Amino acid sequence: MITHHRWALACALPTAVLVLTACTGSASGDEVTVPVSSTDDGCVVAQTSVPAGNVVFAVTNDGSRETEFYVYKEDGTTIVAEVEHVGPGLTRDLVATLKPGTYITSCDPGMDGDDIRAEFVAADAG
Amino acid sequence: MLANYLIGLREGLEAALVIGILVAYLVRTQRRDLLPSVWIGVGVATAVSLAVGAALTLGPRGLSFTAQELIGGGLSIVAVGLITWMIFWMGKTARYLKQHLEDGMERAIAVGKGAILAMALIAVGREGLEIALFLWAGIEAAGSTTAPIIGAVLGLATAIALGSLIYRGAVRINLRVFFQWTGVFLIIVAAGVLSYGIHDLQEAGVLPGLNTLAFDVSDTITPGSVLGTVLKGIFNFSPTTTVLEAVAWVAYVVPTMWLFVRMAFARAPQQAPQQAVSTSA
Repeated sequence: MITHHRWALACALPTAVLVLTACTGSASGDEVTVPVSSTDDGCVVAQTSVPAGNVVFAVTNDGSRETEFYVYKEDGTTIVAEVEHVGPGLTRDLVATLKPGTYITSCDPGMDGDDIRAEFVAADAG
Repeated sequence: MLANYLIGLREGLEAALVIGILVAYLVRTQRRDLLPSVWIGVGVATAVSLAVGAALTLGPRGLSFTAQELIGGGLSIVAVGLITWMIFWMGKTARYLKQHLEDGMERAIAVGKGAILAMALIAVGREGLEIALFLWAGIEAAGSTTAPIIGAVLGLATAIALGSLIYRGAVRINLRVFFQWTGVFLIIVAAGVLSYGIHDLQEAGVLPGLNTLAFDVSDTITPGSVLGTVLKGIFNFSPTTTVLEAVAWVAYVVPTMWLFVRMAFARAPQQAPQQAVSTSA
């Protein structure tokens, strides 16, 4: 019994991962790509405003330390989306679905909480 | 290169150590017949992670942040269950070794292929997708710079080398000592995995208290440093630990350690008469 149960578990997990993968993410087409350059002491987000909807932040680490990129709600503490393990020289895409409103972007080079923040607006297309 | 090397090392270390201990356990308890189950688990987890990572990196669909955190958090909590099971399975063996009850030991180590496979699958798969996404980003960047992917692969290779060193050490030391101390070590590892899972679920907004910190030592143990990397890689130590993570860690370690120490370090009362018999014989 126990053995059967564990086999089932072993088979179910990768399947669950695949199903979750298929169910989430953004449909291609209407998304905006915003390049982000994270350096050891800077965080350049190419645009400060996009139409609300799916946004792809293409986060490039142009510094020498590992970095992370966050999108917070306006309160600056609730995480909307995050990408970790951005090693120097790498570009990682962060897909976020942004409702109309104001957000805070943040690069955290060195992951020490000493981050560089900026306002980011998702405009209502109307 | 160094920063990418440290990411590879950090992400691969825990899986390599757990697999190293699992293989050492099977070899030392004469269960080499179960080794293929370990390698199938490792292989499947690696292949699935790389395939899903490729689909997400190169395909039109990305993985939403919440889904990623739910996968990370969920797999971590499943991993805690499996590692805990492995710890007590080893603890039982240590007790029987002390009692010289070979039959009891046979029963204690009787375990299905499925359990071993699940253990290996989760040990590698837990962080597998995250590592795969990181590697694919490195491969994408290889057109302009190969330093990140080389650093990452060298970091993973170092983690695997350390896992095999643990194995080599484990096959030399006294068997009972091996079970006792790997058990203690794995309890601390599992508690770290639990904290990590809690943190992922806090980031996803499923659990509250993301910004309520128990302590912040990120000025002393910087996450990007070698010390920070090793502590994070083995014990999932976070320099900025939330109250909920700390509470979960303590709530796991205290009872688990107490039960394990009682089981694996206990003096066996049956031993004295057995020794008397063997000396007189």
